[in-house]
Amino acid sequence: MLKSVSRAVQLAARLSSRSSASPASAISSAPRLSRTFSRSIWSLSGSSGASSGSRPRLLTATRALPTLSCGCGSLHTEGDKAFGEFLTDEIKEEKKIQKNASLPKMSGGWELDLNGTEAKLTRSLAGEKVTITFNVNNSIPPQLEEEPEQTQKGPEEEPDIVSTPNFVVEVTKQGTKSSLVFDCHFPEDETSHGEGEEESDIFSIREVSFQPEGDTDWKETSYTLNTDSLDWALYDHLMDFLADRGVDNTFADELMEMSTALEHQEYIKFLENLSTFVKCK
Amino acid sequence: MGLVLRNLQTVVPLRRARMRKDVDILRHIFGVQRFDMGIICVDNRRIQRINRVYRRRDQPTDVLAFPFYEDLRPGKLPCVLQRDEYNLGDIFLGVECVMQQCRETSQDLHQTLTVVTAHGICHLLGYRHETEEEWNEMQQKESYILSEFNRLTGSRLQPLTKRCSHHT
Repeated sequence: MLKSVSRAVQLAARLSSRSSASPASAISSAPRLSRTFSRSIWSLSGSSGASSGSRPRLLTATRALPTLSCGCGSLHTEGDKAFGEFLTDEIKEEKKIQKNASLPKMSGGWELDLNGTEAKLTRSLAGEKVTITFNVNNSIPPQLEEEPEQTQKGPEEEPDIVSTPNFVVEVTKQGTKSSLVFDCHFPEDETSHGEGEEESDIFSIREVSFQPEGDTDWKETSYTLNTDSLDWALYDHLMDFLADRGVDNTFADELMEMSTALEHQEYIKFLENLSTFVKCK
Repeated sequence: MGLVLRNLQTVVPLRRARMRKDVDILRHIFGVQRFDMGIICVDNRRIQRINRVYRRRDQPTDVLAFPFYEDLRPGKLPCVLQRDEYNLGDIFLGVECVMQQCRETSQDLHQTLTVVTAHGICHLLGYRHETEEEWNEMQQKESYILSEFNRLTGSRLQPLTKRCSHHT
């Protein structure tokens, strides 16, 4: 028999505080190990006062390091050269698997505005403005190891990386000073990787609050409705309210697709910047 | 906790508040308000997979029920000792399949979902339709539940009339 959803929800409610506090530094695994690794190196090379003294410093120029000549005046090592070559290959590989150079379109007449890793989707509907904001940083949940027989892919194939950012929906009515703001997220289901019996909604509302229109900072003094212990009938009305404004499961699916493409685009851009920086071009 | 409603599909736009209200009325008529129950709305692909895995039938269907109590005598509520035993189980609604049926017969989707859910709750309560006798017993129960639903809401719902055994 399937695991009972209603029982699972009881357990989920107990665990929700832990899951909502998931670390912001979720890093993808296999295909992007370089990112994890480079961060480790970065933390080793931190130049805080405590790390000085006799402790060896990896990226500090010393006479012992082999250097290559360059007119830019910066340090160049054999390691940098190998790093640059690695990045060239990595960028080539990432571009090969990039589905499209442009971002997928959202259906429903949403206007997209990009600012680095942050995306804003806007739509006006009968005197109301709906704005969705999300950031692709730290939006990829860690991939869980799966039993080989449970996956349809071959053992050599890596799992798809999907970006599932938290997103904020802001609904503003004409002539009002505050907006109704929904903090939404894609639940990290234990079984949602692959073809398991996922039991969570595609997306869910975590918090609801009135916030001054156009303010980027969350006003902590506004009452915030937490959906963890909410009357479910009210929750359903809130979900229907969003659906009426074009924020439904289809939207969430498309948002995931767009976020995945944007994250990949930004990753490649980062690798290119890193390559330029390392090679000093 | 009551009714856990999940919508895992993107094919059919659903009105969650209406579904909850209708199912809550059904639960009241069945006399099972105190019991938890899960209703999970899925598309054809997923219900076909569940149908294949649990019933070895590789086709989409409208409803699959997974009773928490598997050996109930039809219509007899389980004897419950602890709070977490107030659970009837889960009903998977193949909402895409139901929508296709509704289009063919020009019926209202949410009304039909109520009928299909009533059928699913009957299964959670031990009703079966493998034999003629079982079918009649289940048909009677569904008719009664829906007639009460109609009386309370002014609807005109009819029980699932086709003879089928494609549910669990």
